[in-house]
Amino acid sequence: MLFPSISFLFYFLPGVLLAYFLVPARYKNGVLLIASLFFYFYGEPKYVLLLVLASISGYFHGLWINKLRGGRYAVIPLISSIIVGLSGLLYFKYTNFFIVNINSLFGSNLAVLKQVLPIGISFYTFQILSYTIDVYRGGIGVQRKLLDFMTYVSLFPQLIAGPVVRYATVEGQLNKRNHSVKDMASGINRFIVGLAKKVIIANTLGELGQIFLQLDEKTVLFYWIFAVAFMLQIYFDFSGYSDMAIGLGRIFGFHFLENFNYPFMAKNMTEFWRRWHISLGTWFRNYVYIPLGGNRVSTLKWIRNVFVVWFLTGFWHGAQWNFVAWGLYFAMFLVLEKVALNHILERLPVFLRHFYLLFFVLISFVIFNADGLSESLNNLKGMFGFLEIPFSGAETIYYLKSYSLVFLGAIVSATPLMKDLVTTLVSHKWVKTAFYTATPFMQLVLLLVITGYLVDSSFNPFLYFRF
Amino acid sequence: MKRQFRDLAVVLGFMAVIFGFSLLNILKPDTAVSISERRQLAARPKLSQTALFSGAYFQAYEQYLLDQFVFRTELRSFKAFTRLYLLNQQDNNDIYLVGGNISKLEYPLNEKAIGRAAEKLNSIYRQYLQGMRVSYAIIPDKNYFMAANNGYLSMDYNELQQIMQSTVKNMDYLNLFDLLTLDDYYKTDLHWRQEKLINVANKIFEHYGLQTRVTLEQFVKTELYPFYGSYYGQAALKTKPDTLLYLNNKYLEKALVFDYETEATGKMYLPEKFEGVDPYDVFLSGAKALLTITNPHAPGNKELLLFRDSFSSSLAPLLAEGYAKITLIDLRYIAAELLEEYLQFSPDQDVLFLYNTQILNNSILFK
Repeated sequence: MLFPSISFLFYFLPGVLLAYFLVPARYKNGVLLIASLFFYFYGEPKYVLLLVLASISGYFHGLWINKLRGGRYAVIPLISSIIVGLSGLLYFKYTNFFIVNINSLFGSNLAVLKQVLPIGISFYTFQILSYTIDVYRGGIGVQRKLLDFMTYVSLFPQLIAGPVVRYATVEGQLNKRNHSVKDMASGINRFIVGLAKKVIIANTLGELGQIFLQLDEKTVLFYWIFAVAFMLQIYFDFSGYSDMAIGLGRIFGFHFLENFNYPFMAKNMTEFWRRWHISLGTWFRNYVYIPLGGNRVSTLKWIRNVFVVWFLTGFWHGAQWNFVAWGLYFAMFLVLEKVALNHILERLPVFLRHFYLLFFVLISFVIFNADGLSESLNNLKGMFGFLEIPFSGAETIYYLKSYSLVFLGAIVSATPLMKDLVTTLVSHKWVKTAFYTATPFMQLVLLLVITGYLVDSSFNPFLYFRF
Repeated sequence: MKRQFRDLAVVLGFMAVIFGFSLLNILKPDTAVSISERRQLAARPKLSQTALFSGAYFQAYEQYLLDQFVFRTELRSFKAFTRLYLLNQQDNNDIYLVGGNISKLEYPLNEKAIGRAAEKLNSIYRQYLQGMRVSYAIIPDKNYFMAANNGYLSMDYNELQQIMQSTVKNMDYLNLFDLLTLDDYYKTDLHWRQEKLINVANKIFEHYGLQTRVTLEQFVKTELYPFYGSYYGQAALKTKPDTLLYLNNKYLEKALVFDYETEATGKMYLPEKFEGVDPYDVFLSGAKALLTITNPHAPGNKELLLFRDSFSSSLAPLLAEGYAKITLIDLRYIAAELLEEYLQFSPDQDVLFLYNTQILNNSILFK
């Protein structure tokens, strides 16, 4: 089930809210667990059992590690939990990648597996691993209630699209949560903003991408429009989903950490990755980069660590070489920035530093947004005039004009401009009163417009759905 | 408003919307057809173990929920308004408006489809029409008049005509482009207005050497209002409706229309169809594979075989003033190979292929 869907908004959510707030506190996690399993079953009936088994495995591994914690054999259940957790991910996500590459390399004819990737497997696998590793490290207490642990793993607000919520973040909230009108209002506000980002901006830009892909006669300018549209689409899609997850979590009393912080406002790649998909970056830092030695090693080892982390980050996003290239592309920039580039960038005017970031991030998403490396290369060729195509044409101008306000709105919304403006304005008493009065109505109108978009269109893909 | 009140208003407002819609949707009986969209709406899917575990059931259920959503038309209007007026997008689901006139983008020119259509005409000629007086004409869609000059994408109509003229053999091309203007079409529909087709009918008579000429004055005009054309529902925006006007007289009144499919004989105009899903069905009862119009009061005994789309439904009654018998063949609903089972072809019949540009550009619709 997707958040921006009629089934979720007008059937699932009201039902869960009703059940959740009617039952006594001790049954609330049970309601959330049942709701979450149904939520998953609705979109992926076959693999709900896999989710349950992965949760049970994580739970018992946690107990096992805890039993041996501090002893020399504690590492055995830890390794077991990592092997079990990653084997599911490897099998479902990467087997076909390896088969295809082995066939290509050795001319063999191994049959690819006819299976789909279970929704959210990358997210819930990482959550379970963060739990068992943290139990091993002693950073968190072990969860002795299976129901509570399964609720953590399968919690529907973050189940299929993250953010990757570490157990440590919600450990206390799983046992006791406070509910208040203030939190609910804040959660609803965040949820509606996320919905609007996804439905009105990301889907509309995605539609432009589809138009481009179906065009027979492409132009250089349209290749650039396609690239910018995708960069904005993926931001609004994913950050919109994160907003919805955070908002829903808050409605039910959970406080998830932020996953995006205006990433396009960064001035270099290092800063960009502190602002983009923060929960994934944090996961790799805590569970891969630091255990490898982080930056407290020799320069060569540090470079190795960076490349390992970013190879894995790219591979996590998809079992294709262009995702690997995308990860390594960032590794290269992160190393270059630390070694030399930052010294140069710091002397440049701010707008040039932004330009540097935006340009190279744009290129990165061209690599990302393709079905393989050759398509990435072809798209780059198109952008830089290496294909024999005209610079512009009637279609390019038409669609540029048609989507210009959407672009403008997306670009402005990708900056803190509106947020800062509201903060400044509400410092005036009468503006504050007007703003507080208007907010509920504006949100309702926005919700109705979003519903109109959903009712009118079946174009509602989610980019991170299969990660 | 204090923050606490605002928070309460936000929570109550949100709950009212999601619970309100939820309740209304549960209470609302299912609708079979959307009049405004002219299509069948999805029905509640049947539950089976296979469908449930393959995911097909929930996919179908999602479509069912979308189609049966309460206030569907009004909510679609919200979206259309946001897209066209707030976000200033050029079109909504390819529908665009210029001064209350609604049209649908037909772009780009599908050269393969045009070539396929032309070959279809050639193959029918070879199979049935050799030695007969055969012509073809193309009806420009509304975009020809309102797209390019208002900044919208439109197909290359010159190229379309050139492909047809260079590919179609053994037939005369009857150019109608110069006879028509945007005013000759309904504002809320794709079709042309019957009362504006006098010169088109006369051109066809002249082309085939008939002495008959029609004038607006020889007809009794019946107005049907309001006419909400097919584009109206697709646009989901409030615009002024059209008036559907049909031309009749005591001779046409007596003309008989035979439907080969139902083997029923009826009249040229069916005003009762105005209240149906497609009011344009007033003309010759709408989409039909094979019809024959017989006019016992025609000045001669000339026959016309009219290979056609829906545009001809409103033109054929005017042509019946000159022809004793008109056979209308819609190749979207009957395969050309089956025609010999129903029709007799003879050299003294006139033959006209009359298709609008949207059909030619989507000639995959031909059987």
